[in-house]
Amino acid sequence: MSIGGSDLDRAITQLRACRPIPENQVRELCYKARELLIEEGNVVGVDAPVTICGDIHGQFHDLMELFRVGGDVPDTNYLFMGDFVDRGFYSLESFLLLLCLKVRYPDRITLIRGNHESRQITTVYGFYDECLRKYGSANVWRYCCEVFDYLALGALVTGAATSLTPTDGPIAENINIDIPDVDCDIEIETLNAQGEIMYRYARNSDSQSSAASQANSNPASSSPIAPPTPSLAGVTGTGATSSANGSTRNDTGAILCVHGGLSPLIDTIDKIRLLDRKQEVPHEGAMCDLLWSDPDEIDGWGLSPRGAGFLFGADIVKCFNHKNDLSLIARAHQLVMEGFKEMFESTIVTVWSAPNYCYRCGNVAAILELGEDGSNGGFVRRSNGDRGGGGGGWVLGSNAGPNGTGENRRLSSVLGDSMQRTRDGPGRRYRVFEAAPQDSRGMPAKKPVADYFL
Amino acid sequence: MADSQIPHLKALLGGRRGGLSRGRGRGRGRGGFGASHGEHEAIVDDAVRGTDQDAAGSRVSCVELGYLDDPYAKLFATRPSTRRLPLLNRGSYVRTSAIDLLIDRFLTTSPSSPKQIISLGAGTDTRYFRLRDKYPNTHILYHEIDFPMNTAAKLISIHQHAQLHTKLTESTFNIVPTQTSYYAPSYNLHSFDLRALATSTAETPPPHLPNLDRSIPTLILSEMCLVYLPVTTVSAIMSTFLNHYLSPSTPASLILYEPILPQDAFGRTMISNLATRNIHLPTLHAYPELGDQRARLRQYGLTDGSRAADNHFIWKEWVSEGEKERVAGLEMLDELEELDLLLRHYCVAWGWRDGGANGVFSTAWRDVGEQDGG
Repeated sequence: MSIGGSDLDRAITQLRACRPIPENQVRELCYKARELLIEEGNVVGVDAPVTICGDIHGQFHDLMELFRVGGDVPDTNYLFMGDFVDRGFYSLESFLLLLCLKVRYPDRITLIRGNHESRQITTVYGFYDECLRKYGSANVWRYCCEVFDYLALGALVTGAATSLTPTDGPIAENINIDIPDVDCDIEIETLNAQGEIMYRYARNSDSQSSAASQANSNPASSSPIAPPTPSLAGVTGTGATSSANGSTRNDTGAILCVHGGLSPLIDTIDKIRLLDRKQEVPHEGAMCDLLWSDPDEIDGWGLSPRGAGFLFGADIVKCFNHKNDLSLIARAHQLVMEGFKEMFESTIVTVWSAPNYCYRCGNVAAILELGEDGSNGGFVRRSNGDRGGGGGGWVLGSNAGPNGTGENRRLSSVLGDSMQRTRDGPGRRYRVFEAAPQDSRGMPAKKPVADYFL
Repeated sequence: MADSQIPHLKALLGGRRGGLSRGRGRGRGRGGFGASHGEHEAIVDDAVRGTDQDAAGSRVSCVELGYLDDPYAKLFATRPSTRRLPLLNRGSYVRTSAIDLLIDRFLTTSPSSPKQIISLGAGTDTRYFRLRDKYPNTHILYHEIDFPMNTAAKLISIHQHAQLHTKLTESTFNIVPTQTSYYAPSYNLHSFDLRALATSTAETPPPHLPNLDRSIPTLILSEMCLVYLPVTTVSAIMSTFLNHYLSPSTPASLILYEPILPQDAFGRTMISNLATRNIHLPTLHAYPELGDQRARLRQYGLTDGSRAADNHFIWKEWVSEGEKERVAGLEMLDELEELDLLLRHYCVAWGWRDGGANGVFSTAWRDVGEQDGG
């Protein structure tokens, strides 16, 4: 059976209802997906606007909630940073739906590999057993694993705007911080699932500091938003870092998206491009590190308690971003209770998209929207053009990590002042959402049962 | 073709069928307070039997993967073992080794003097047999209390395996099929509902506990047992142990293993998840933090020492670097953040009365570090 055209749409409809498709269709789908993915480089180029998502882990109903909050495919462009499978009840349906969407709308959705997209990990963490149970054989698991081997290792987002076009959403209740005026350059906006503004952070405006400080900002996080100086502007090469909305000359560096993080074996993005990725995730080496590593409050590199990959500090990130002309690294891999967490003066962000992870953790999830800077010639805004796009702006996490001013000082002494002149980051809109309501799951007999020590 | 009705691995890991466990989740037995609603009783008992077996399976998973050394675990498991998630294995390891450490310190303090241990809701716990091997020359008087369904099953397992019953008696181990209690000089299995200890009066005194010694140093262990009972019931039970079964001057201690932090996002989710299974943890709300646990121990009269530490702290501070490395190397553990959350939400609290200074518990646990704050 072929899975082109209308068959594909039928499969999408079926999977959206959380019903698995027949084994022969899976085989066909995986074959098509491999044909498509083999053409992609190790680092896929992606144009803004795009919505960046973290771990899904088989939480199908929460993936539907994600699409409800972030907009449907193909109206919204998506970049999923891996860990589609394992842990949740519906790894199969979640991954196959994403794969169908990829085959159906290849330019609208990007999938990169997470450490769970691996034969070894899926046999421990559930996806293998789920396939066996749902199909009675390991064939589907095998087809999926073959696709995993072809997934890209990273993505490079270009053309992102440095500030956000303000949403016209209402301000959420119980928010007691100053919301900067919409005329400011909006660097960060956090919206809840209803599209209400929970937090807004403006660059270079009087209101920003009060908003920032009241949102428990810290000195290191606020340092990049010091009033622009000629040298800062010079480094960014635009002279427009403080420009108002709608500038077409904003020039944010690119955003590297990778599931885990950096590798001591990789100092340039070109080195990622040279890896031979079409294999099972190795136990060590650059490919393993990209999928397993974590940022941490350390200097340099450290051993990872996960037993694979490394820990890397702010100095590593800033060096790497500078060298590769990046303004931000977006990664997933680590559960963060607030859904996202910016670290190291907003040079790296963790995005986590599995709410109430494993039906046990009680966390919220987030997705990160990057708008387009309008300089992509001939680029036509899509029907959901109200999302993102537009202006220029900067940075700061509402829940930035506990990095202090010391880091800043250390860096300038170690790396010299020029290293601090990082590129303006993209304007970032985080949409935070909770787990899909229980009744939407329609599975009273299969109530999620989380394990505790009883 | 299979449809979406097929349960996920995790559901099977839990080993629960249906939602009728009524106050008893997986894990070690949760004390001898049996079903009280007639029509549910059989179903509840069944569920409990299942959860108890599942607990045994958890222990086997840990043993087979090398986390724990326990040759007896598989003897109490009647189902084939299921490999647990690394996070759960690690959690089970921390819990078991923490309690082992406290008990080891107790038994090795004045090793020639007799000691008594009372394990509440012991279920399929193998601790007695492990201690017998580890301290062959120490006089240990061991008691387990659980409700009859669990004690009966345990006796059958013991009867079936010479490895077990030869630890209890030199002579032939004889039980009748309906037997729920067993009394021997070193090991005693008492079958009754723990709540009976809270409702006793002068006319209806608490059950007689054969072989219980009123005067030797006694350690009472509640691993996820008392947490299911109302606060006042637990206080009454403790009072019965500390002032009725034991002479008020007998050195005594209580080790609790329980969840904490019910109010944060993880804790709230835990409570609501357990509530859907009709599991409620009254004392969790009464003693939400480490400091509350310590104060509670003092309220029971354990005033010579009261300490507490969460399992995250215990993993970090009690487990040696070499052992950490060994355990971390057993399985690749990807769920680090989740493990942290889980470990921070369980604690060990231990308190004692022994006259202080050179008392047996004061000596045994002098150097066992607790966590600040809370």
